[in-house]
Amino acid sequence: MKRARGVVSPFLLVLVLIGMVMVGSGWAQAKPELTVALSSFSTEVLDPALGGHIVKYYLSLMFDYLVGTTPDGQPSRDGGLANRWENSSDYKRWTFHLRKGVKFHTGDDVTSEDVKFSLQRAIGKRSTTGYAGPLRTLIQDIETPAPDRVVIVTKEPTLIIPTYLSRSLSTEGMVLPKKYIEANGDDVFARKPVGSGPYKFVEQVTGSHIRLAAMDSHWRIGTSKHKSILFRLVPEETTRIALLRRGEVDVADVSRERVRELEREGFPVHFRRDEAILSMWWVLGPDGRTPPTKDKRVREAMNLALDRAEIAAAIFAGKADPAAVPLGLSWSFKDVGFKVTPEMAYPYDPARAKKLLADAGLASGFNLDVYAYQLPGLPEGKALAEAVAGYWEKIGIKTRLIPVDYPAFRKLWVDRQIPGAVGYYNIANRDWIGAYALLEKMAYSPSKPNDTANDPEIDGMIAQVMRQTDKEKINALMRNIFSRLRNEHSGVPVVYLHSPYATSKTLGKWNPGTVMYDLFIDQLVSGK
Amino acid sequence: MLRFIGARLLQSLVALAIISVVVFVLARTTGDPLYLILPMSATQEDFANARQYLGLDRPYVEQYLSFVGRAVIGDFGTSLRARRPVSELIRERLPNSLKLAAFAMGVSLAMAFPLGVMAAVRKGTGLDRAAQIISVLGQSLPTFWVAILLVEFVAGRLQWLPAAGLEGFSSYVLPGFTLGWFVVAGLMRLLRSSMLEVLDSEYVKLARVKGVVEHRVIWLHALKNALIPVVTFAGIYFAILVTTAIVVETVFAWPGLGRLAYEGISSRDFPVIQAVVLTTAAIVAVVNLCVDCLYAFIDPRIRYAR
Amino acid sequence: MLAEPGALALPEVAAAADPASRGRRLPVFSLGIIGLFMLVAVLAPILSPADPFEQSLRNRFKPPVWEEGGSWKFPLGTDRLGRDMLSRIIWGSRVSLAAGVLTVLLASAFGAAVGLAAGYYGGRVDAALMRMTDATMSFPVILLALILAVTVGPSFTNVVVAIAVILWARYARVIRGQVLTLMQLDFVAQARIAGAGAWRIITRHLLPNTLGTLLVLVTLQIGYVIIVEASLSFLGAGIPPPTPAWGSMIAEGRDVVTRAWWVSLFPGLAILLVVLAFNLLGDWLRDTFDPKLRQL
Repeated sequence: MKRARGVVSPFLLVLVLIGMVMVGSGWAQAKPELTVALSSFSTEVLDPALGGHIVKYYLSLMFDYLVGTTPDGQPSRDGGLANRWENSSDYKRWTFHLRKGVKFHTGDDVTSEDVKFSLQRAIGKRSTTGYAGPLRTLIQDIETPAPDRVVIVTKEPTLIIPTYLSRSLSTEGMVLPKKYIEANGDDVFARKPVGSGPYKFVEQVTGSHIRLAAMDSHWRIGTSKHKSILFRLVPEETTRIALLRRGEVDVADVSRERVRELEREGFPVHFRRDEAILSMWWVLGPDGRTPPTKDKRVREAMNLALDRAEIAAAIFAGKADPAAVPLGLSWSFKDVGFKVTPEMAYPYDPARAKKLLADAGLASGFNLDVYAYQLPGLPEGKALAEAVAGYWEKIGIKTRLIPVDYPAFRKLWVDRQIPGAVGYYNIANRDWIGAYALLEKMAYSPSKPNDTANDPEIDGMIAQVMRQTDKEKINALMRNIFSRLRNEHSGVPVVYLHSPYATSKTLGKWNPGTVMYDLFIDQLVSGK
Repeated sequence: MLRFIGARLLQSLVALAIISVVVFVLARTTGDPLYLILPMSATQEDFANARQYLGLDRPYVEQYLSFVGRAVIGDFGTSLRARRPVSELIRERLPNSLKLAAFAMGVSLAMAFPLGVMAAVRKGTGLDRAAQIISVLGQSLPTFWVAILLVEFVAGRLQWLPAAGLEGFSSYVLPGFTLGWFVVAGLMRLLRSSMLEVLDSEYVKLARVKGVVEHRVIWLHALKNALIPVVTFAGIYFAILVTTAIVVETVFAWPGLGRLAYEGISSRDFPVIQAVVLTTAAIVAVVNLCVDCLYAFIDPRIRYAR
Repeated sequence: MLAEPGALALPEVAAAADPASRGRRLPVFSLGIIGLFMLVAVLAPILSPADPFEQSLRNRFKPPVWEEGGSWKFPLGTDRLGRDMLSRIIWGSRVSLAAGVLTVLLASAFGAAVGLAAGYYGGRVDAALMRMTDATMSFPVILLALILAVTVGPSFTNVVVAIAVILWARYARVIRGQVLTLMQLDFVAQARIAGAGAWRIITRHLLPNTLGTLLVLVTLQIGYVIIVEASLSFLGAGIPPPTPAWGSMIAEGRDVVTRAWWVSLFPGLAILLVVLAFNLLGDWLRDTFDPKLRQL
């Protein structure tokens, strides 16, 4: 007995220590800090011009845009530095009037010089923003006739300037401090960014978190309800949910699979409905489409082989709706008057699919490579690829699943080394200008490696949109483009994804909005 | 003694040099980071510009020499993804990895000691077996599974402990336990056999004959002697813990070196990949060097072995 | 790593370590489990009730037969794509065991060769080989596997190669230590005097005496490899879908840990049993063959 006691006592000591630790550990405490847990920060670069595929969750809090938007993505005079703007009659001169009294976090005033500087920087050589290209070709000059007026002169008449410089697309419209950047250099700016937004930068630990502190009062949100905001990078789903349960985070993006469980426990779940369209496409060869997908019947067959309703229910836990138009960004449909008719929806018809294949001379099937990868916001990526491959197997296509990560696939796609192979992406939904910008990237042949359509008719229509200033004509063109994409079966539209964001029970009202890569957190913290 | 240390130091440097070449080549085979940095609409000219600006168009030999030359003074270049100096990133993350590894080591020892001693003292009985199985269990379960189960149940449902992050002592417990359980078996085994050796030794037999209380015999004399090999192996395991924590760091959102390496590899961020591999190799080398010196100090025969 | 202290320990200290362990009963539990799973792996085509690749989304997440909603059609339930768990676990034993065994065989063969050469020749050869070994041991296994997965895509071959390429160094170190001890003994000197060449000495005299150690290491490492494969699957660098491998099955089920607990639990139990068995067997082998190896 004495022997045993001697052995057991240190064990007990350890247990007691652990117990003390647990008692002393933090359970839910009220916080003046709003905490947002995300599964991915994308590139985590804080310089708006350097991010490439950038998320704006924290950037739109640190910086102001030239043109603001409503949570619905419509240009708004209330959300941006420009409280009004007008165009010349030939649509080649756009004048923006800046609101007065806005200051950067350093105390300097925001003037037209800063706007000009920011824009030039955004379309400069070092910039890697998504829409710098079109802006670069369009913009001829930027004039600053007064400290509160900026005039953008374009080479061709165009309607797109205000939207391209707004919050609804990417970061080209963000206004940066000219004096601060010129004095300290780009490197310092990337590590200690300064803007004019309602929150200023406090600290960043890459791979961990970004912390922002509220300015005392801001024209966008008044006096904020939360003194600081913490964005935490938590890659593992189970951990994010555990943090939510412990009350350590207020907002977390969650997978569709877990929504029911959280709703049952009483956590409010906000959906960004139709946040993205999950669209698949066939990689083009160096000269365009290759057999067998060159044959329209094969493309149609592959579309008919999928049971989209079952995919939505099984893979996406019901938080998705079948899609009918390849690259069909539905938030733009209302803008341009496009209606998805019942005939457009692909039925689940494997029998007819097999018949079409036979008509095309491929009754014995053919080989198909399906690339399988996860994507941010799409944890179901590989499962989707497997499921879709399964459906195609049932109509006789011999599929091969190729697991790579997305960067590797993207290289093969863009270099056109894998003609006929299938890839996919969860393309963020957007308004008509955003949709046009996307189509110009993914359905437009001229020197665009990401083209997936290879369709001269669509090329012609897209080229016209850019130069068109009559909205009615633009709408007609866009409608025709969507129709043609559907009729030519230019891709495989799978589903529209609803993205769930779970919040703590005490958070209050929040509309996460329908703007690409932005969560409209200013709404959550607004003191107005 | 100094000659020994000098010789070992040289050996470590040679090993590091070999690793630097290997990782330089490997990093560049992962692909082209520009596809991630540049937007979808980038043209060939944009690619050429970026390549030149980032120094990726220089000949490989030049790139390697520049990499090694600066690495020696601690400059690992700029991260292609985060656009910040890599040494800064390492400075942010390395302490976290070290702290977690140290805590895990502590947990491991805290578990291995009672288990090892109990197994030795109760050799051959059910308790011995049970101790063995508990230790080996830590090596028989996939780390990520243990981690996720702990997060889901202990942190999420029971809410006894934090699920992620670095807020204070309690947040070390779950990740530290997950990481530490993996090496408990080795330490426990060592302790057990060391204890058995000592318990059988002449010194202990004599003490028993003299009538010294069993309890004190075990604790005072046996443990002291069993400590030496354990301490040296703890050092080696520490190095292992620092370098294999990537899974634990992912699940517990712990910003350490492992996670940095993962992000670097995913984004084909050459400078980061190179820096992390070299840093972890250097840590392993330093720890091994210390352990070898300690051993050589204790056992002079080893100094003269080839 | 470090100069193995065991290599220089005097024999009598070692023998006194654990006299009662010699002649211990055979580890029935371990051998039984390993035998069972080996049998299952070999007989997979016969034992498996269904095709492990056949998916049917309609039948997703069906619970095991003893739960409400379960059926004998899927005794252990189904996964996210409606595939039968029992079949996948049976076929998965093939994949996971093959990965473990192949990797370890490759690593031990190469590592033993290096260790024997280094120990026998000594001098420059030894120094060069040991520097390579040091460098290899300091390279983290998981990072190498990730890099390979990202470069050429994850696959069964990549997992085996990535792990074996780092693992051999362990064997080299230990075997070299053993050889150093053996070289001090008389019989090697005698063989030399008798005119035996290097090859003969290595294969006839040195290698057989290291087989015991090799066996211990091999047994212990099979379990380790299976665990590493599971971690790689979690990170996306393991054996890719749709191939059934226990590690990736657990990883796939991690988001439904409470809702569809059977998707992770059963493959997890399989790994636990097999790896535990290998580890316990390795322990027993070590204690029986050579207690000096306590640092393994």
